[in-house]
Amino acid sequence: MAEPLEARAAAPVASSRERAASRNGAVEPVAPDALGPRVADTVAAGGRFVMLVGLDERSVGGDGLAVEAVVAGPDGGLVRLRAGLPLAEPSYRSISSLVPAAHWDEREAKDLLGIVPIGHPDPRRLVLHERWPRGYHPLRKDVAAGARPPDAERHLVPFEVHGEGVYQLPVGPIHAGVIEPGHFRFSAIGERVLHLDARLGFAHRGLEKLVEGRSLAGALPIVERACGVCTVTHALAYSQAVEALTGTAVPPRARWARVLLAELERLYNHVGDLGNICAGIGFQPAVSRLGWLKERLLRANDALTGHRYLTGVVAPGGLVADLDPACLAALPETLDAIGVELASAVRSIVRSEGVMARFHGTGVVSDRVAEALGALGVAARASGLGHDLRRDRPYAAYDELDVGLVTASTGDVAARFHVRAQEAHESLRLIREAAGRLPAGPTAAPLAAVPAVGDSAIGAVEGPRGASWVWLRAGADATVDRLRLRSASFANWPVVAAAVPGNLVPDFPLINKSFELCYACSDR
Amino acid sequence: MPFDVLDRVLRPLRSRPVTSRYPDAPPDLPAAARGLPELDAARCDGSAACVGACPTGAISLSGSRWTLDAGACIFCDACERACPRDAIKLGRRIELAARDRADLTIEREWRTER
Repeated sequence: MAEPLEARAAAPVASSRERAASRNGAVEPVAPDALGPRVADTVAAGGRFVMLVGLDERSVGGDGLAVEAVVAGPDGGLVRLRAGLPLAEPSYRSISSLVPAAHWDEREAKDLLGIVPIGHPDPRRLVLHERWPRGYHPLRKDVAAGARPPDAERHLVPFEVHGEGVYQLPVGPIHAGVIEPGHFRFSAIGERVLHLDARLGFAHRGLEKLVEGRSLAGALPIVERACGVCTVTHALAYSQAVEALTGTAVPPRARWARVLLAELERLYNHVGDLGNICAGIGFQPAVSRLGWLKERLLRANDALTGHRYLTGVVAPGGLVADLDPACLAALPETLDAIGVELASAVRSIVRSEGVMARFHGTGVVSDRVAEALGALGVAARASGLGHDLRRDRPYAAYDELDVGLVTASTGDVAARFHVRAQEAHESLRLIREAAGRLPAGPTAAPLAAVPAVGDSAIGAVEGPRGASWVWLRAGADATVDRLRLRSASFANWPVVAAAVPGNLVPDFPLINKSFELCYACSDR
Repeated sequence: MPFDVLDRVLRPLRSRPVTSRYPDAPPDLPAAARGLPELDAARCDGSAACVGACPTGAISLSGSRWTLDAGACIFCDACERACPRDAIKLGRRIELAARDRADLTIEREWRTER
């Protein structure tokens, strides 16, 4: 199901005053109520919904709000549709009933900017919970960063199923373990789940507000730390957006090193996640083996870059510092040993009938549901959708690499397990190739220009959990006017909730771990 | 299968220990490790470049006193790169636990006799 290669080459040429790179697409103004039909038409023509960005135009010379829908067109280019909205009544017809993948984006823009999607099927709060006062929309430009409004006296409205024999099982938001906060409300009959309401947003720190007004370089450490395990992904997506805004060309050595770093991040995540899936059913031998394997990868990261989780390496223009040459030389040998051990560990899991009996047929997501909800990454590919930005929209040096597409068709825990296992081996291969082809030369270029106020650009990286997108608009003097980070976890959480009904309550940890999403970069 | 098991059982005899002596011995840090920022007071000229560069506002400068809040530091090395006199280096100190929040504040007198 891969996109044909020719499709990538033909990106539309930007003609708007927005001086973004050509494949960033031109912004097309549309009427508020035309947004939904236009997005739906583009999706129907073979495109894919990317994200919705709520905007306050007052900082860039406008007098109201706006909402921009970004859709990846069938030709590989981006379609960007922007609807201006009056400040007094910022509303438009909801697009979620036409394009369900937009339903969380619309709720978030409603919370953070007060942009109302009329007719939204689930208009509850998403990131700002009920205790935030009505009318408080922190991403509006007239709200100061760090403002602390008083608590409102309202409480969570869970979505529950009621009826004879149906009971509610609330789990979280505080869990008995070192995991992130989330509230899961199961409506169950016996052990079977009828409905799961996943309530996130507890880790919302207002990072998008926090970066506003900072220099393009100064925002990086914050974007990079949106979560702890997608740092290369987010730093790279942000760097791409900055480079597109400033017309900066990244030197070849940095392009190849970025591939190497992105694959190292995918590899340690996939290896750790394979182990975590086994933790979901208490299969300890595999948890230990894969946990130790992940630790070896983290140590290799540490030696190579000075940081186990690879922060502080990628920056706009290239890299912060070059990779450690001695560790780079030793990397192929380390990877060979890890590849052998990984294959052996996966073999021992696959050969365990008791384990596979739990994996097969559990947490099934059909291709139809995955496509409708906009599943990304492993969650999409395990349901048979051939989406992978490294192939569909290559960045760094991926245009010079042949990335093998891994898909499965069953959409269950077993499918997500197998896709990860095969992708881990593909990552090992890509790291070896990138290390071998790493050219000599500088590792960074200075930013070429100061972007004009109001220019915007988009960066996108296929991270371990799927595609993460950064939408960035420049303010005065090379600062951030608005940034939206749509992480792969944000896109995939609704898919988790859809995978659970019909399964047993005790299978939830297993299903959840087969997606292994971040809360932090989803909540931001 | 039996050989696989035998191989796994005998493997420890063929390999070196994978554990380290830490915390009895100092941790084995890579060359590029980024620990707590350290100020070379003799080089600092009070330009406050580090204060402006710090993304979390962890550094402040008041009179002759340079203050670092280790609880707010994210070890990004923006201060090190911003300093025009190379007075800040991210050092090798990684053990930062304290009993009180206030104990995470580190103060240095930068102004030497001049």
